[in-house]
Amino acid sequence: MRKEDTVKLISAEGFEFVIHKEAAMVSQTIRNMLTSPGSFAETEHGEVTFPEISTTILEKICQYFYWSLQYANGKETEFPIEPELTLELMMAANYLHT
Amino acid sequence: MDLETESRLVRLCIEAACESRESVEKWRKQRRTLESMPSPLADALLRRLFLGRLVFPSLLEVFKRSVEVVDLKGENNVDAEWMAYLGAFRYLRSLNLADCHRINNSALWSLVGMTSLKEVDISGCSKVTDAGIRYLVSISTLQILRVSETGVTADGIKLLSSLTNLSVLDLGGLPVTDTALSSLQVLTKLEYVDLWGSNISNKGVTVLRKFPKLSFLSLAWTSVTRLPNLSSLECLNLSNCTINDVLEDNGKKACLTKLICSGATFSNEAKAFLYFDTCFLSFLDLSNSSLNGFYFLHHLKALEYLDLSSSMIVDDSIEAVASIGANLRNLNLSKTRVTSAGVAILVGHVPKLENLSLSHTPIDDLTISYIGTMPLLKHVDLNNTIIKGFIHQGGAEPNLIPSLTALHSLKGLESLNLECANINDAAVDPLSSFKELRLLSLKSPSLTDFSLHHLSSLPSIRNLRICDAVLTNSGLFSFRPPATLEMLDLRGCWLLTEDALLSFCKRYPLIEVRHEHVVSTSDQTACHRPTPPRTFLRPSQVNQKQGKLPVSQYFIDQRLKYTREELLALQFQSSYLGPSFDKSLAKPKIENAVYCRAVQTSCIDNYLPGKDLCFDFAPSKILKRKRTTFGLPIRMPSTSSKRKGSTPRTMGERRVLSPVPTRNLI
Repeated sequence: MRKEDTVKLISAEGFEFVIHKEAAMVSQTIRNMLTSPGSFAETEHGEVTFPEISTTILEKICQYFYWSLQYANGKETEFPIEPELTLELMMAANYLHT
Repeated sequence: MDLETESRLVRLCIEAACESRESVEKWRKQRRTLESMPSPLADALLRRLFLGRLVFPSLLEVFKRSVEVVDLKGENNVDAEWMAYLGAFRYLRSLNLADCHRINNSALWSLVGMTSLKEVDISGCSKVTDAGIRYLVSISTLQILRVSETGVTADGIKLLSSLTNLSVLDLGGLPVTDTALSSLQVLTKLEYVDLWGSNISNKGVTVLRKFPKLSFLSLAWTSVTRLPNLSSLECLNLSNCTINDVLEDNGKKACLTKLICSGATFSNEAKAFLYFDTCFLSFLDLSNSSLNGFYFLHHLKALEYLDLSSSMIVDDSIEAVASIGANLRNLNLSKTRVTSAGVAILVGHVPKLENLSLSHTPIDDLTISYIGTMPLLKHVDLNNTIIKGFIHQGGAEPNLIPSLTALHSLKGLESLNLECANINDAAVDPLSSFKELRLLSLKSPSLTDFSLHHLSSLPSIRNLRICDAVLTNSGLFSFRPPATLEMLDLRGCWLLTEDALLSFCKRYPLIEVRHEHVVSTSDQTACHRPTPPRTFLRPSQVNQKQGKLPVSQYFIDQRLKYTREELLALQFQSSYLGPSFDKSLAKPKIENAVYCRAVQTSCIDNYLPGKDLCFDFAPSKILKRKRTTFGLPIRMPSTSSKRKGSTPRTMGERRVLSPVPTRNLI
């Protein structure tokens, strides 16, 4: 996996998730960050920090990105969400437009 | 936030959060998260909880710092306890309590002094009276207030004058008097006033001129006969009023865009219309009105929507409609005396027409060819007309030309209602090539399995209705519905049995089937609640458990519908499907089938005078007969193990056919 094809997402606690750029683009917000013109830190280093999103939620978000790609390719499985995570995940999803 | 616009993960989260009581318990303790939740999310979550009937009063507390919009319309269990929690909602902007029948004055007390509430709807809360209004007027921020059909009197309405921020006020169905209305004249921000069914007189209505921004006014069902000139008006509803006069003054004429005169009477309609600036009138409803002359229509060049249903319009006046047809998109001429000659006048004058209704009019097949010239038509309603589907060509040998082929030029046709009793299979034939048709409605006792199978080739059909037809079980069994089909309405198809319909529902669970033998789940639940999207109508077991079949008044002796020639013709039409029938389904039921065959044969023999006529309803076509569709009392032998223990159903006492001799028929 080449570095240009990946993105590093950093949670509030500082955990780093390295995922495919294609997967991260599922989020409209991340897509805008990575593709916007001008030399923002996000665009240059391929790193996005989310000080408001906890590690657990960010991990779930990353799972969702990959699930979403599979779903778009016709693999219609269910995406399980634990009831305890619903509220925070909902808010993160709302922020990320995903 | 609408469910459509929110992102998919948000939707999945809301679904997961509202899955059950247990899942609610898992997150309801996360107070800080709930308090920091953006209000559109909180609103959507709460709305979904209401839909799932998961809300109980104390759960509301967790939303008190996030929710801005609460819609409880029609919730019958909402009472003072709920209101006590809602009163604590810090940022509540809009509260809809319409038709919440347990809401009374003391329940409204909780709203006293709310500081962000802008919109309240308590329409239909009949227990709310003037005392409740006293509580509401303490909310000075109110901009939109709907109190129609409550117990509020004229005295209560006078109190509303302190709500100076009001822009929308719905007082429909209340005894608003002239003095009550005149006390509201301080509300100069009013833009929308609904006074239907009030006690306003000609004198009181002049007060409306004090509202400089008034753009919507409804005076429906009032005794007002003289309208003041209200120059700011855009929408006016005068349904069921008698208008004699419109007061003229030197001011600017009202520039109406929408006028509803359904059921209204005008002493001089041409004059009445002169007092409005009708250049921009785009919506005109004249249904049920007693107007005779339609010449005033000539001036309404911007009209897009015209409803003339149940009016006195005849072919002669259609010319007026044609003269303003350039922008028309919606034309309703149903229940009028307009004939095909009238429709002919419209040809070439209605280039933008999308919706056309000619139901319950004496139009015939010639109309179809005229309709075929209106290129943009999407929805056509021709039910209860005398359309046969064929045009008789004169000459020595009468020549039948299928008339519905004329509709082929309508590339965008989405829905077609042809519930005409004279349509038969051959007439329906041209319909099967419509690419965009989503909804097709047919209702005729001459339609058979042939039509059902033929119409299965419609590529985008979603809703197919074939009512009162002689569809058979085997026809339904071999029917391969198109993938797009969502609803199949077979009501009145009296030959279909419960088992056949049940097996169809099992094979195609995503198709909603409607028939007298299929009890829909949505009929059982309350009407005001939208059913979850995935539920389809299931054949219910309720009837079987009760052991009592609902004796449908519908299935009376169906032979009445047919003449002897028609009965004979139907027999030949429906015999073609026999061989394709799957024998495996028939075998376990063969005993019943043979039994029924005997019953039917004997019935028809009794009916037809000629002894040599023999109706062969093959066993494959009638699997099992449970009801006296032929008007004969039948006792069914209880063969299925499911019903063991219960007594055989007796459909009548006088004549019981024994199954023994019929076995010899094999």
